[in-house]
Amino acid sequence: MSGEVAVPATAVPTTAVPTTAVPAGVGVPSGGAPAGAVPMVRAERVRKSFGQHTALQDVSLTVIPGEVTCLIGPSGSGKTTFLRCINHLERISGGRLEVDGELVGYREHRGRIRELRPRDIARKRREIGMVFQRFNLFPHLTALENIIEAPVRVRAERRSEAVERGRALLARVGLADRAGAYPAELSGGQQQRVAIARALAMRPKLMLFDEPTSALDPELVGEVLEIMRQLAAEGMTMIVVTHELGFARQAADTVVFMDAGTVVEAGPPATLLTAPAHERTRAFLSKVL
Amino acid sequence: MTAADASPPQRGAGVDVDAVPLRHPGRWAAGVAIGVLAAMGVHSLVTNRNFQWGTVGDYLFAEPVLRGMWATVYLTVIAMAIGIVGGIVLAILRMSPNPVVAGAAWLYIWFFRGTPLLVQILFWSFIGALYPRLSLGIPFGPSLVSGDANHIVPLFAAAVLGLGLNEAAYMAEIVRAGINGVDAGQTEAASALGMSRALTLRRIVLPQAMRTIIPPTGNETISMLKTTSLVSVISYNELLNATRLIYARNFQTIPLLIVAALWYLALTSVLTVGQHQLERRFARGTLPRVGQRR
Ligand SMILES: Nc1ncnc2c1ncn2[C@@H]1O[C@H](COP(=O)(O)OP(=O)(O)O)[C@@H](O)[C@H]1O
Ligand SMILES: [Mg+2]
Repeated sequence: MSGEVAVPATAVPTTAVPTTAVPAGVGVPSGGAPAGAVPMVRAERVRKSFGQHTALQDVSLTVIPGEVTCLIGPSGSGKTTFLRCINHLERISGGRLEVDGELVGYREHRGRIRELRPRDIARKRREIGMVFQRFNLFPHLTALENIIEAPVRVRAERRSEAVERGRALLARVGLADRAGAYPAELSGGQQQRVAIARALAMRPKLMLFDEPTSALDPELVGEVLEIMRQLAAEGMTMIVVTHELGFARQAADTVVFMDAGTVVEAGPPATLLTAPAHERTRAFLSKVL
Repeated sequence: MTAADASPPQRGAGVDVDAVPLRHPGRWAAGVAIGVLAAMGVHSLVTNRNFQWGTVGDYLFAEPVLRGMWATVYLTVIAMAIGIVGGIVLAILRMSPNPVVAGAAWLYIWFFRGTPLLVQILFWSFIGALYPRLSLGIPFGPSLVSGDANHIVPLFAAAVLGLGLNEAAYMAEIVRAGINGVDAGQTEAASALGMSRALTLRRIVLPQAMRTIIPPTGNETISMLKTTSLVSVISYNELLNATRLIYARNFQTIPLLIVAALWYLALTSVLTVGQHQLERRFARGTLPRVGQRR
């Protein structure tokens, strides 16, 4: 199986500027992956505009299965927008975006790109977990009900099995005794851990985190990052938008610096965080650290 | 562990505050004024013989009045059921991505809110004149069932359709406001889990919207209970019509109107209590449950 599908020239209105170089260091060095492995995410010159405003200008990057990619960059640089494009919460305006070798939101048929039906989009979203800055737990459901809702209603799992697995997931995020609690009765850190468990309940092959600790009180950040570190150690493919550079340094395989809707540079944390190649990256890091 | 055994004994700990309470002369003045007015009102109610409390007592539980009262309750329940279900459907259609569907819902709401309810009720009662024969079948094709409209749309149906279809238009706006009030992050989280639009609406959005939908729906129900009196114009025998029929015969107009008013008051009071209970039930998950473990 190959992830390389020929792109019909007419299919996607990419900006035809082939000579401008893709920023240095973009994409994971091919040596890091077994030859021929399908990347979990492959973005090629992805563009996204909201009316007149261009949120993503040119984003190219590759995420290898089992690796952790941290997206950093100033506010408004397009990190959230890019994550949302990956599970098609936003529709890209140009370029090409694949998850696990398949186009996001589209299918290719006889050389044409066609929009997917909502049902097919939903089916693909099941395989991508998403964790939000503001948790977005369902407030009218208990922690356990939050977790089993999608497995039971969407994956048609047996309720008893979903409950059993839901309890196991709660135990895994350290909340075995809070199954019956409503979100309003949990601390921010606990809510975010439930949200992670809820995403994991769908057995995703890719997890997206959008600033998962930004809405937390400082003393609660650690417990969430710890869960994410465990998840990374177990081999989950993760894309994490974060301002926690300590986490990026420890857990990331690749750190990507975005600014003004483009990927400025990408590389292993040791390089990018200590000896960035670009002035913009240096300026950002000096402000954050 | 309690505060008492955690810290050294504090000065005055555990002793009630001994302060001179603040005086509220305004409350006293208002209390006296309202008390005097109320006494005057009661005095007039008791001494003005035109109220004829004896007659009120005679008819309050009279059989035709009770029948009318139950008809009012029945009408309210059915009309509100149509209104709520219709309102939810209309609200969902109104927010449909399909512009034709959304436009049709908009048109319905525009029409039913833009014409007087009394006119609509009269219209339904005279539908037999407009379409003498109604039939159910394939559009522009053969009809499967057909009959005389005056039999298909009896008085009760005219009353219920008039009240219910009109209510649906108002409920649609209430439901829509409730749905729009749910945080967009909820829909997003549901989408990210692979839930469909319909499932998200049913399982995630509507249950949360209920909290904002219920108080105005309670008001609508209370209002409907009183609005049912309008169908007395088509001689549907609800509470008001029942009392009207009596005073048309015995000319005891005032006491019988008081009978009707007392029943409306009693029924709306019951509804107010019910509304309060419902609101508490749907507040679930929004407030920490005090006094409950976990
Ligand atoms: N739904 C939207 N409509 C219009 N503009 C948007 C929308 N979402 C994001 N943007 C704009 O796109 C840019 C990138 O936003 P975002 O992806 O949220 O950045 P980040 O997550 O890096 O802070 C911002 O300028 C933002 O204002
Ligand atoms: Mg963001």
